Amino acid sequence: MVNEQVLLMGPRKALVGIVTPAADGAAASPDRPAVVVLNSGIIHRVGANRMTVQLCRQLSQQGVDAVRFDLSGIGDSEPRDDGLGLLEASLTDIKEALDTLESARGFKRFVLVGLCSGADHAVVYAGRDARVTGLVLLDPSIPHTPRYYLNHYARRATRLSSWMNIARGKHPLWQALGQRMGGGAHGAEPAEVDPRADLDTPQAKAFLTQAYAAAQASGNRFLVVLTAEREDQHNYREQLLDAFPDVSFGDRLQLEYWEDTDHTFTPEASRERVIGRIAQWVPAGAD
Amino acid sequence: MNPFFFGTRQRRLFGVYSPARASASGSGTRAVLLCAPWGQEYLRAHRAIKQLATLLNQSGVHVLRFDWFGTGDSAGEMLDASLAGWQGDIETAIDELKDTTDAARVGLVGLRLGGTLAASVAARRRKDVDSLVLWDPVVSGEAYVKELLADAPARKAEHGGGHEVMGFALGEAMSAELRGLVLPHAELPARTLVVRSVPGEAVGAVPAEQVEGQPAWLEDHHSGAGAVPVKVLQRIAQWWS
Repeated sequence: MVNEQVLLMGPRKALVGIVTPAADGAAASPDRPAVVVLNSGIIHRVGANRMTVQLCRQLSQQGVDAVRFDLSGIGDSEPRDDGLGLLEASLTDIKEALDTLESARGFKRFVLVGLCSGADHAVVYAGRDARVTGLVLLDPSIPHTPRYYLNHYARRATRLSSWMNIARGKHPLWQALGQRMGGGAHGAEPAEVDPRADLDTPQAKAFLTQAYAAAQASGNRFLVVLTAEREDQHNYREQLLDAFPDVSFGDRLQLEYWEDTDHTFTPEASRERVIGRIAQWVPAGAD
Repeated sequence: MNPFFFGTRQRRLFGVYSPARASASGSGTRAVLLCAPWGQEYLRAHRAIKQLATLLNQSGVHVLRFDWFGTGDSAGEMLDASLAGWQGDIETAIDELKDTTDAARVGLVGLRLGGTLAASVAARRRKDVDSLVLWDPVVSGEAYVKELLADAPARKAEHGGGHEVMGFALGEAMSAELRGLVLPHAELPARTLVVRSVPGEAVGAVPAEQVEGQPAWLEDHHSGAGAVPVKVLQRIAQWWS
């Protein structure tokens, strides 16, 4: 049975973490990274469907130390008291957590794992800290590309419901036309809203490009899994490469696109698959 | 706030103890154990339960909240869990809370399934439990299981059977236990409050107080988390102050 331990991290000990030590009992070594799993959105550290707990315990069985913790203001961790903005606060939390893991447990290298917002935090942080040597990014934010839109509209065009909406005047095209004509959406439902439209601004693209480039330049390995359910974000495997053409991932990137998989890996089979993939990938690059 | 593991080596439970931040009104030490719901409801309600602990602390009440065996940060897997075991977890947590605070008796607050289990333990630990809050409790185990299994795919027999309930395994034995679960409405502590954020009936002789607010255990805005129903939490904290 794994003997998990509570670890309060950061200078205020305000970040609540759970350490799942490697089951083989081996002491931390500079060559063996600890895996640190970040929050997804505002779900606390156990993760969607308890996925993070299961991941940490499986890693432990494979001789890997794993840590899950709550960023400030999420789960059991207290909010920060220094007035940092949301992103800077999260990045500082990660630094403080790694500092504690290094000073209290002797870890020198880390693999960060994140789903959704956790993936974004992981990649943005990685370029700032040489201790991070690997990234597992599940459904990270990727700007849309021309091929994304081609796929998107091609798939819509093959859906009967899209044609029915055009016939009924409910299609977003009609609503956009109506709004341009100054008539609003008379009798129609609100136009479809793209929740991530801001990712396609030049500023957002430049920010993410810089983040991936910095993470790549500092020598990180990447495991990236994109799920088909987030069709609003990405809809083909190579979208990551097309969105960041100036980042030379080379053979340090393992990139996968999973059909029939939901964003939070809800079915047990999906969860076992992603946990298995991570548990296989982490030790492979540890040496 | 003190997050820690407690219980036995074979059944380690994760808990968070938070002490009172003010003196309680009246005499004696006041201590309350919070009992969580199960499955997705547990994940969604985590924020509200933590916030309730804070409000209770501000009202002069010591609080322990914990994860059932096989859930959250506690040891074990769902297929190793049972309702009888979870009732035992409440008893372990009651002992831990009494030991930590020196309180002679404790109160229980249970949300959804946590309420039903808390009521059953309150009925058999009368010497230790003097008050109970049932927050949107599951009144009929039979109806609850029917709801859980409505769209739940079956799990393979070689993996332990049962069903997958929105990402969580529910074994046949536990389903059977749930079907037989009845809220012991005739044996509630004399001091019992029933709070509902969704319409519902009285529990035995205790009328239900309908309090405005979104249910903490339902998903709010596709976040995976539930809302924090401030008025519900305030009502519960006020009841103890």
